[in-house]
Amino acid sequence: MNTENTKKYQSRLWIFYAILGLLLVILYSGLFFRQLIESESHAAKEKIQNQRRILTPGPRGNLLDREGRVLVANKSKFSAVVFLSENQVQKAFSDSYRSMVRDYRERGEKIKSYSELRILSRANVLQSYLKGVNELIGRHEEVDATAITRHLNVNPLLPYPLIDNLAPEEFAVLLESLPVESPVQVYVSNMRHYPYENAATHALGYVGYSPLEVQSDMPGSELKTFATKGTYGRNGIEKRFDEQLQGKTGSEIWVVDPSGYQVESVQREYPRKGRDIELSIDIDLQLAGEAGYDLYGDKGALVAIDIDRMEVLAMLSRPDYNLNQTTPFISNKVFKEISDNQAWENKALRGLYPPGSPFKLITAIAGLKAGKIDDNTIFECDGSHRVGGRNFPCMGRHGEIDLRTAIEKSCNEYFYRVGLETGVDNLSREAIYLRLNEPTHIDLPNETRGMLTPSREWKKTRFGEPWYPGDTANMSIGQGALIVTPLQMALMVASVAKNQVYSHPSILKQSPEQLARRPAPKPLGLPENLHKAIIDGMNRVVSPTGTARAAIIKGVNIGGKTGTAQINKKDGNLELAWFVGFAPIEDPKIAVVALVEGQELNVSFGGGRYAAPMARYVLEAYFDKHPEYVNTQEATTTAALP
Amino acid sequence: MSVGASYVRELQNFWAARLKSKSELYEAGKDLAHLNSAYQLEVLENQSLKQEVDRLEALLGLPARPEYKYEIARVVTRDFNSWWQHFEIRKGSRHGIPVGAPVVFSGGVVGRIREVHEYTSTVELLSNSHLRMAVVIEGDNRPMSFRGAGFKIFRSPTGLAEYVPNDISISDPSNPPRIVTSGMGGVFPAGLHIGYLQRLRPGASGMFQDGDVHLEERLSNLTEVAVLIAIKEGME
Repeated sequence: MNTENTKKYQSRLWIFYAILGLLLVILYSGLFFRQLIESESHAAKEKIQNQRRILTPGPRGNLLDREGRVLVANKSKFSAVVFLSENQVQKAFSDSYRSMVRDYRERGEKIKSYSELRILSRANVLQSYLKGVNELIGRHEEVDATAITRHLNVNPLLPYPLIDNLAPEEFAVLLESLPVESPVQVYVSNMRHYPYENAATHALGYVGYSPLEVQSDMPGSELKTFATKGTYGRNGIEKRFDEQLQGKTGSEIWVVDPSGYQVESVQREYPRKGRDIELSIDIDLQLAGEAGYDLYGDKGALVAIDIDRMEVLAMLSRPDYNLNQTTPFISNKVFKEISDNQAWENKALRGLYPPGSPFKLITAIAGLKAGKIDDNTIFECDGSHRVGGRNFPCMGRHGEIDLRTAIEKSCNEYFYRVGLETGVDNLSREAIYLRLNEPTHIDLPNETRGMLTPSREWKKTRFGEPWYPGDTANMSIGQGALIVTPLQMALMVASVAKNQVYSHPSILKQSPEQLARRPAPKPLGLPENLHKAIIDGMNRVVSPTGTARAAIIKGVNIGGKTGTAQINKKDGNLELAWFVGFAPIEDPKIAVVALVEGQELNVSFGGGRYAAPMARYVLEAYFDKHPEYVNTQEATTTAALP
Repeated sequence: MSVGASYVRELQNFWAARLKSKSELYEAGKDLAHLNSAYQLEVLENQSLKQEVDRLEALLGLPARPEYKYEIARVVTRDFNSWWQHFEIRKGSRHGIPVGAPVVFSGGVVGRIREVHEYTSTVELLSNSHLRMAVVIEGDNRPMSFRGAGFKIFRSPTGLAEYVPNDISISDPSNPPRIVTSGMGGVFPAGLHIGYLQRLRPGASGMFQDGDVHLEERLSNLTEVAVLIAIKEGME
C-alpha cells in the first residue's frame, strides 16, 4: 500500500520538481540577465541617482599692457559661507524645525504653512551662524530667508554665502577663529579687478555673469550638474577675446545622500586660468592722455597709434566709468549713473563727427593729385567766398596765401577754392582711398559702420537731389554730410604722415611674425615735393605761430592740424575741437588724435585751445620713453611754450 | 733654633700619625671619598644647570612684545601620532594661561593652547591638521591660510599653505620664501616664523596655489616653550 502510494505520488513529485526546476531556471536566468547583461545599465542608473557634478569656472586670463603691466586681473573674493550638507547643519535645521512646531503646539496655535515654517527654521539656524561671524568681525549682517530658499532649490550642493567680499583682515580673523571642522568656512571665488580703474575703460571692457557653458569633454556629462556662474565679456577686449580669456572649467563629482547633500568627493578636475593677452596699449601714454583729458575736456575721445606697427598705444573715450564698479556685478544705481552720463559708448570708434579742418589735408591731397594745384599755388583770401549765391566765410582775411600757409592758418577760402576746382568726385575718391567711408576693422567689437563720405550718387539716392557747388565747398573744409570716427582720423593722419594708406589697426601687441605677415600699405601717391609741402604746412601748425602751438614739445618736430567743426542742433551749433598730429616729422612714429565735444551751444570751442594740449600730454609721455627721437640740441634752443 | 724646632714638630707629627689606628685612617679615607663624590655630583648638577640656563637664555632671546607676557613652561609629555600632535606643558590656569593662546619658542611658532587645566595645559602643535592660522610670505602683505599637515616618522613636520598668490614662485630652492604669521587674525602677533615654502601646485579655485611648508625640525623635541599671554588694558 505504502509502495503504491509512493509510486502514485512519485509522478506528481516529478511534476513538482520539473516546475520547481523551471522556476529556478527562470529565477537564475533573470538574475543572470540583471547582474550580467543589464549590470552596466543599472550601474549607470545608480550613478545618475547617487552622484552630482559641481562645476567651477576657471579664472579669466589677465590683460597686460605692451610692457607686461597688468591692466585687468582677477581679484580673489573671500566670503564666509555655510556648507549646508554638513551633518551638524542638517541636524540644526531639523532641531530648529521641530522646536518651532513644538512651540506652536504648546501655544495651541495652528500652523498655517509647514513649508514656511521650514524656511523660517532654516533662516534662524543660518542667522545664528551669521551672528557668530558678525561678532568675530564686527559686522551687523542679516540673512535673507528668500535667498536661502532660492539657494536650496537651485544649488543645494554649493555653499551658502553668509557674507560676501570679506576684507583681508576679516578673512584672517575668520581663518584663525573658525574651527577647521566648523560648517562655517571661508570660501574663495574670483572677480575681475581693474587696477587703473577708469583708464581705457571702453577699450578694456567689462564682464557679465552667466550660467557656465558645460564643455562636452568634461567627465560626468550624464550627471545632474550644479554650477557657479561663469563670466563672459560684455564689451571691449573682454568681449572680443572672450574665448581666449576664458579659463578651463573645473569639475568635481560627489556622491550624495537621498536628500541631495554631499557625502564623498569621487573625482576632481581643477579649473585652469585662461590665456593672458598682451595688448598694444602703453599704460603710461594712456594715463598721460587721461590726465590731459581731465584738464581740457569732458566729452570726446583720444587715440594714439604706433604708426610703424599699426598698434593702438592709447584709446580713451569720455565720459567714462570706473570699471571696478562693474564687478562682481553692476548695481542698478551704477547702471543708471552710467546710462544717464551716456558713458557706455566708446566714442573713439563709435562716435561720428564731422572732421572739420583736418579734412583740409585730404582736400589738399585731392587737389595736388588731380593736378588742380601744386605746392606753389596761391589764392586770394578776402574773408569769404561766394558759391551759388551764398557767402562761405573764412575765419580771417589772409590775403595772398599758398598751400603751406593755408594749412598753417587753416584758411577756409583757400580750401573752398581747391575743393571747387578739384570737384566733389575727386574729393570723395580721395577720402574713400583713405578709407574714410569704411570701418578701420580694429580688433575691438561694435565699431560703427555709420561713417559717411558723401558723393553725387549718395546725395541723389538719399535725397533725390543733385550735388551743388555749395556742397563741395562745405565738404572741402570737412563739413556737410561728411562724418568720421576719431580712430579713422588717427589712421588718416598716420597715412598723410607716411604718404601711405593705413588700415586694420590692432589693439594687440603684434609679434614679429604677425608684423611680417601684415600686408604692405598702399602708397598715398603724392610725389615727394608735394607731400613735403603738406608736411611743412602741418609742421607750421605746431609752431609758435601755428594754431596748435599748445602741442609744441622741445626737441621734437611735430606735424598737426587743428579743427573746429560744427554740429547743427535744434537751437544752434555745438562746436567740436579737433587736433590730429604726428611726430617726429623726419620719421613719423606716433599719430595722435584728440576730439573734444563742446558743452554749450554757440560757444566757440577751438581745437588749438582744447584738443592740442591734451595731445601734447600723450606725445610728451611717448618721447620721454623714446629719447632717441628727441633732438636734444634743438630742445634747448626752441622757444618756450606759449 | 728655628731649624731645630721644625725638626721637633715633624717628629711629633710622625709619631702622632703612627699612633692612629687603621680604622681611624679608613674612616677618614671614606669621608674624603664621600666628599669627592658630592663634589662630582655638584659639578654634574652645575653642568645641567648651565645647559638649562643656556636653553632659557635662547628662549628668552625672543623679541620683546609689549602687548604680551611670556610665560615660560616646561614640556612634560608628548603625544605625537599621524592623527594629532599635542604636548602637555607644566603651566596651567594657575599661571594665567588661557585657551587659544599662542605658544612660541626661539625658532618661531610652536602651536596654540588647546586645553587648560589647573597646573598643566595641552598645546596643539603647528603640524596638527586642526590648527589653522592666517600667514603671509615675509615681505608680502597678502594673507594666506596655513594648516598643519601632520608628522611622519623620520620626517620633518610639515604644513600646507593655501591661497598662495599665483605670482609667488620658488625661484631659488636654497632660499625659499619664508612664511610668517600675518598678525591680522588677532591670535598670533605678526612676524613669527612658521616655516619655508617648499613646493607649489595649482590650487582648487585656479586663483591661487597650494604649497607645502617645511616646519622647524626642533618642534618634535622641544623641552621648554613660552606661552604668549595678551596683556589686557589696565593690567600690569
